[in-house]
Amino acid sequence: MRKTSIAVLLACSLVIALAQTQKESARPAANVKVGDLAPDFTLVDQNGQPHSLHDYRGKKSVALAFYLWAFSPN
Amino acid sequence: MRTFQQSLAKLEAADTQVLGVSMDNPYVNKAFAEQNGVTFPLLSDFGGTVSREYGIYKEYDKFNRKIPAARRTTYLIDTNGKVVEMQVDADAVDPTKTVTACERRKVKG
Repeated sequence: MRKTSIAVLLACSLVIALAQTQKESARPAANVKVGDLAPDFTLVDQNGQPHSLHDYRGKKSVALAFYLWAFSPN
Repeated sequence: MRTFQQSLAKLEAADTQVLGVSMDNPYVNKAFAEQNGVTFPLLSDFGGTVSREYGIYKEYDKFNRKIPAARRTTYLIDTNGKVVEMQVDADAVDPTKTVTACERRKVKG
């Protein structure tokens, strides 16, 4: 009985430890900073049209404005 | 986004494309754009993949729940795809700095 509970305890701590390491690695490596190449993306707009960052390469600058939620103030 | 709409003519005159991004779905963004007269693209980063890649994925306490959203950040990206200016949080609400940076770059270029 005692052996079993110790084994269960060990198994649990192993699972928790594994989950922790996974959490760590899922975190973004570093924030995009001034001077960095902006990561490319393709996203759909409010009319279902796709837009890619590379579409604007060599043509226009892009002001990429992230906002919290639609209808949030400002 | 309203503040960007107000500065849109200036930004476009400086050869700058404005793109808004949030984790809302396109239908919510459509309603939001219509109600606020937003004419530039509002992109849907549903699930937050792009926000994570830029390192601005956050969780906000709202309605006693954790709600994921992108931190309010504006990146000015030049024609080579490089980040040349960046404003975060309160600074990112008012696009004046972004407008000034665009106009300055336009004069230089």
